[in-house]
Amino acid sequence: MKKIVVDHLKYKYPLGEELALQDISFQIEEGEFIGIIGKNSSGKSTLCQALVGLVPHFYKGAYGGKVIVDGLEVKTHTIAEISLKVGMVFQNPFTQVTGSKMTVYEEIAFGLENIGLPREEMRRRIHEVLKLMKIEHVKDRSPFDLSGGQMQRMAIASIIAMKPDVLVLDEPTSQLDPAGSEEVFQAIQDLSGQGITVIMAEHKMEKVAQYCNRVLLLHEGKLVDFAAPEKIFSRNDLETYGVAAPVYTRVCKALGMKKQGCDSYPVTLKDAELALRGSLG
Amino acid sequence: MKSISLFVERESFVHGIDPITKLYYILFAIIIPIILPSFTISAICLGTSIILLIFAKVMRKTLPVYSFVFFVLITVVIIQGLFKPGNETVLLQLGPVAMYKEGLQFALTIVFRVTNIVSAFMILVLTTKPSDLVEALVRKGMSPRIGYVIVSVFQIIPEMMTTMSTIMDAQRSRGMETEGKLLVRIKAFIPLLGPVVLGSLINTKERAMALEVRGFNSRNPKTYLNEEKTYPNSRFIQAVMLVLTVCAVAWRMFL
Repeated sequence: MKKIVVDHLKYKYPLGEELALQDISFQIEEGEFIGIIGKNSSGKSTLCQALVGLVPHFYKGAYGGKVIVDGLEVKTHTIAEISLKVGMVFQNPFTQVTGSKMTVYEEIAFGLENIGLPREEMRRRIHEVLKLMKIEHVKDRSPFDLSGGQMQRMAIASIIAMKPDVLVLDEPTSQLDPAGSEEVFQAIQDLSGQGITVIMAEHKMEKVAQYCNRVLLLHEGKLVDFAAPEKIFSRNDLETYGVAAPVYTRVCKALGMKKQGCDSYPVTLKDAELALRGSLG
Repeated sequence: MKSISLFVERESFVHGIDPITKLYYILFAIIIPIILPSFTISAICLGTSIILLIFAKVMRKTLPVYSFVFFVLITVVIIQGLFKPGNETVLLQLGPVAMYKEGLQFALTIVFRVTNIVSAFMILVLTTKPSDLVEALVRKGMSPRIGYVIVSVFQIIPEMMTTMSTIMDAQRSRGMETEGKLLVRIKAFIPLLGPVVLGSLINTKERAMALEVRGFNSRNPKTYLNEEKTYPNSRFIQAVMLVLTVCAVAWRMFL
């Protein structure tokens, strides 16, 4: 089933000179894990926000084309309606703290109170996401007293607790150390395994290559390519789009080692190892 | 974390009274001296508030507030004592300056009324968590948006102050003078405004988006994580205050 259909989407910010998104079309199946890559200001965040309705409802501006998420047309529904189906985590964890709650536990409950969940269900879900995001030990702290990484985990937990069908993450691991990022990616992959569709804008290419089913490459508001990670990272023109392939791919490219039995370079450590061992032995 | 709320966490029966009743008490403390403008009644009201503050063990926190209020009131006493029209009986003569009895009496009623109102407000402010008050009001039907604005101010203002000191440190590290004479301090303040104001505007935009995607404008009826606190005595206290107010009106009209 097609979970997300984007059809000739064009968008210009109210004060922008040029289109931030230029004629973008793609489709995403239910349960896919999609990575959005591209250099800074290539339209990644704008595209993410178009999926939850912040574009165009929050910013206004000129909008063309269609975005349909789980059968809802974004343009004709309010953000509150869309937010029941699509959850979004933003880049900056500090501004995602509501500021009206005294503890992390209550902070996560904020969204659940708004959508009107019964108390028992709220407690169950909060307990679950605290465990999933590994922040149980800080549940009684003030949300502003957390470290950047903990705050980012809390921001993700707050959205996951709302159990959206589609999870949109805009650089969700910017404040996390490598081990922390790995944990968060693992957790998100678990969710993806449970059938949640995940769309993530991210700069850490190794992670994108490892976890995503398909990768969407954006450049100056245009969709360049939307394909499997191997295919995207094997492109020869990647650098012209300001993107560097994962380090494994670059090594294999330099050595001319293609993945066995196909025409693309390996993108993960495992595949690179296989390819290199294969050629040696 | 720094807090700009004056709430003091203590164990006392005043802390255990529900916020709505405390709001009624403020109204009560304002209205009674208006209905019965006698000196004794004002004194009794003030006395009640002070006794409540003592029981709440927050008397020490009230002192700065009281001293500020008295500083203002002293001017009222002096001006009324010296210049009130209708001053006749000289109470005190210091050279050419004379204090009059009528003026002082009038000033004293004002002093009592003001301290009375201030004390009633302090019972609310010092013994109630802001979030409890707002939650009680939202449950009573106040818009959750207004509630959010009130509660978030208590956390976001201290956050802004932290940001401001970070920016100031950054500017200082690049060689700007921020300490010393008043003029230097004022000069240091100006370049601070740009980043702080713009930064808060951007933060506000991002926070608004984050609230939106968490269903802040959802039309579903809101639920609450915390169970509604029950306050056994609030009905009784509210009833007593109502009866007293009715009695006061009756007294004023018929006696």
